[in-house]
Amino acid sequence: MEVLEVDALTKRFDDVVAVDNLSFAVKPGEIFGFLGGNGAGKTTTLRMVLDIIRPTSGRISVLGAAPDRRQAAAIGFLPEERGLYDNMTAIDTIVYFARLKQMDGGEARKHGMELLERFDLASRAKSKIGEMSKGMAQKVQLATALVNHPQLLMLDEPFSGLDPVNQGLLEEEILRASKRGAAVIFSTHVMQHAERLCDRLLLLRKGAKRFEGTLDEARAELPAAIDAIAKDDIARVAGIASAEPKEQFDGEWRHWSVRLNPGVSAGEVLERCTTGGVALRRFEEQRANLHDVFVQLVGGEESR
Amino acid sequence: MIANILLVAKREFRQVTATKSFWLTLLLVPIALAIGPLVGDKLKDDTATKVMIIDQTGGAVARTIEDSFTVNEDRALLVSLSRYVERHDFDKADPRAVWAQHDRWYTNADVASFRATGGLKAALAKIDTVRPEGVPAFDAPTPDYSFLPPPAELAAASTDTIGAQAKQLTQAKGGDDKKAAADIVLLIGKGFPQDPTVSLWSNDQPRSSFVTQLQQVLTQAMRGSLLQQQGVSPQAAVAIETAAPAIAVSTPPPGGGAREAMLVRSIVPLALAYILMMSLMLSGSWMLQGSVEERSNKLLESVLACISPEELMYGKLLGALTIGLSMVAVWLGCAAFAAFATHGAIADMIRPALAPLTSPGAIVALIYFFAMGYLAISIIFVAIGAMSDSMREAQGYLMPVMLAVLLPITMLIQAVLAGNNGIMVQVLTWVPLWTPFAVLARLGIGIETWELIGSGVALAIFVFLEVVFLGRLFRASLLAQGQKLGLKQIVGRLKAAPR
Repeated sequence: MEVLEVDALTKRFDDVVAVDNLSFAVKPGEIFGFLGGNGAGKTTTLRMVLDIIRPTSGRISVLGAAPDRRQAAAIGFLPEERGLYDNMTAIDTIVYFARLKQMDGGEARKHGMELLERFDLASRAKSKIGEMSKGMAQKVQLATALVNHPQLLMLDEPFSGLDPVNQGLLEEEILRASKRGAAVIFSTHVMQHAERLCDRLLLLRKGAKRFEGTLDEARAELPAAIDAIAKDDIARVAGIASAEPKEQFDGEWRHWSVRLNPGVSAGEVLERCTTGGVALRRFEEQRANLHDVFVQLVGGEESR
Repeated sequence: MIANILLVAKREFRQVTATKSFWLTLLLVPIALAIGPLVGDKLKDDTATKVMIIDQTGGAVARTIEDSFTVNEDRALLVSLSRYVERHDFDKADPRAVWAQHDRWYTNADVASFRATGGLKAALAKIDTVRPEGVPAFDAPTPDYSFLPPPAELAAASTDTIGAQAKQLTQAKGGDDKKAAADIVLLIGKGFPQDPTVSLWSNDQPRSSFVTQLQQVLTQAMRGSLLQQQGVSPQAAVAIETAAPAIAVSTPPPGGGAREAMLVRSIVPLALAYILMMSLMLSGSWMLQGSVEERSNKLLESVLACISPEELMYGKLLGALTIGLSMVAVWLGCAAFAAFATHGAIADMIRPALAPLTSPGAIVALIYFFAMGYLAISIIFVAIGAMSDSMREAQGYLMPVMLAVLLPITMLIQAVLAGNNGIMVQVLTWVPLWTPFAVLARLGIGIETWELIGSGVALAIFVFLEVVFLGRLFRASLLAQGQKLGLKQIVGRLKAAPR
C-alpha cells in the first residue's frame, strides 16, 4: 500500500492556482524529492496532506484514509519556517509535540532523550529553547518530527539554515527513517541533496508537475552531450544535433562539444562512428546533472 | 480532541505561571488589600482637637461648654458600645444596663447613669464575662475634642494680648514637635452674657458641629441669664433650658439597615465582578503574549500539523480560564485565611455579605456568569492574538476593546454602590459583553429571576456566536502572516472559513 497518494490535486487562492492537477504517490521506505522553485506549490501541497488547508479539488490519501489530525501519530513534519516555545526546555518541547501526536509521555521522553543523544544535545535536554543556538533549536525541532517513529516523514526545506555538519546529520536521519520503512518526502531547491538522497523526484513549476521519476530518468530528460576529439567528419554522424569545435589540435584534429538528438544515446553514436570510419581520439559522455534538468524544466532563475 | 485541548491548556497554564509577572500579580493583590486598611488607618486623623477656653467670667461658662462636649462624647461612646453589644448579643451581661437598651436616643440622664455605674471600664468588665474567645474586644471611638487649661497669665490679659497669644498658640511649632499647643482658643469676655461677643482663634476652619454645639451652649447660658433677669428662678431657668423630648429610636440591628444591608449584601457580588474584570485583563494580556509569541516564533505550522485550530483555540481558552480561576481561588483563599486569622472581626462582616450566596441557585448563577464572562472576553483576546504579528500590533486592537469593556463596568460598579438600579444598569444587564459584570454586581441588590435566566441565555448565545465567528477569524488568521489587516479582510475572515 502507498503511504501517500495524491490524485488530481488542485488548490486555488482566489484567482491564483497554487497547485494545479497534481498527482503522485510515495511508497514505504521511499525517499521522495519534492523539487521546485519559490512559490512552486511545495508547501501548499504539504499543508494539504497535513489537513492544515483543504484542496479545491482532487483527492489525498494518507495511509489509506483522507487527511485527518487522527493520523498525526503516524506523521512527522518539519516546517520550512521553524520555531519553538522559547521558555520550554528541549526535552519538554519534544514530549509536548509527541503527546500532541497521541504518544505516551514516558515513551516520548525516552525516545526524545535518545534523539537528543544522537544529535549531541543530551547535555542540553533541560536547557530552554531560548537559551540555545539556532542550529541546536533546529535539531530539537527535527527531534519533534522524528520522536513518534513516523510512517510518513515530511520535511519542508529541511537543509535550509543548517551548517554542513548538521546537513550530514539530517541526511543520516532521512536514510535511517527510510531504512526502517518510513516514506520520506522532502522539498528542496538544493539539487545536491536530492541527487544524493532521493529514490524518486517530482519537479513542480507554478503548481504543475513537470517531471516525476528516478534520477536517471530525470537526466534522460535532457539530450546527452559528448566531449570528443575527432576530425570534422564527426558533425555528419547521424543522431548528432550539433557539434561545436572548442579548440584546434595538430592537423585536422579538434576538440568537439557534441549534443545529441533527443532519444539518441551516446552508445549509438559511438557505434555509428565506428561503422562509418570516423576516427576518434576521445569519446566521453557528459551526463546531465539534476541542476541542468531543473534549470531546463523549472527555470534557471528558480534554482541554486 | 479533549486530550489535545487539555495538553494545550496545560502548556498555556505552565507558560503563564512560569512568568514573574504572574506571581507578582498574584501576591500583590492580597498584599495591597491587606496593606490598604493599615495605610488608611495611618492616614486617618484620629487625634482629638485641642480646645483651650479662656473664661474671663470666672470659669462657669467654660465648665458648661466642656461638660456639654464631654456629655456628647460619652453619648457617642454609649451609642457605639450599644451597637457592639447588640451585634454580639451581649445584653445578658447586664440586661438593665443603659448600654443594653437599644430602643432610644440616649439622653443626658442616660449618659449620667452610664457614668454613675462606672462608665466604659465597668461596662467592659461585665461584657468580658460573656464575651466568647475570638470575638474582638470593643474598640472605643477616639474623642473628637480635648480641653486644655489656659496659661494663668492669659486669664486676666487684655483681648488684644490674648489675640496675639492665641495666634501663637494655634500656630504649628518648628522642630520635631510640629504640633500646635492648641487647635482652638476660645475667649469668653468679662461682659458675657450681657456682651454676647465670643472670640475664637483656630488653626483651621473649625468643624460646623463644634460651632453649632458651642453656639447652643452659649445661647442656653444667655437665655438662662435673660430668664433670670425676668424674674424666673435659676432652677426654673435651667429646667426650661434643658427641657428635651425623649426620642424612642427603632433601628435595624447592625448591618441590617436598608442601605447598609444592601451594601453589605453587594460586597461579595461586587468583589467578584471586580475580580472578574481584574483577572480577565491580566490573564488576557498573558494569553495575548502567548499567541503573539506563537505567531512571531513561527511555530504554528508545527502545532497545526498535530492538532486542529479549534483544539488550539479551545485549549487556549481553557488555559486562560484556569489561570483566571486559579488567581481568584488564591485571592479568595487569602480572604478566607484573613477571616480565620482575625477570628470574628471579618467573619462577622462577611456573614451578612455571604447572604446572597445562601441558595444553591445563587451559587450556580455566580459560577455560571463568572465562567461565561471569562470565556466571552477571553475569546476576543485569543482572536486578537491570532491576528497580530507583534505585541505592538496587538495593542492597536486591544485598546478599543479594553475601553469598550472597562468603561461601562466602572460606571456600573459605581451605580450599584450608589444603590442605583436604573436604566443604565438594566441596559448593561442585557448587553452580553457586560452581562456577566452587571448580573454579578446586581446579585446583591436583587435581580428578577426572569432577568437572570434571560440574560444568561443571551450570554450563552453570544458566547456560541463568538466561538463560531471568532473561531473562523482565528483559523483564517493563524497562518496568514505579514498581511495588513483592514476591516474588509477581518469581515471576510469572519464570514467564511476557507481553508
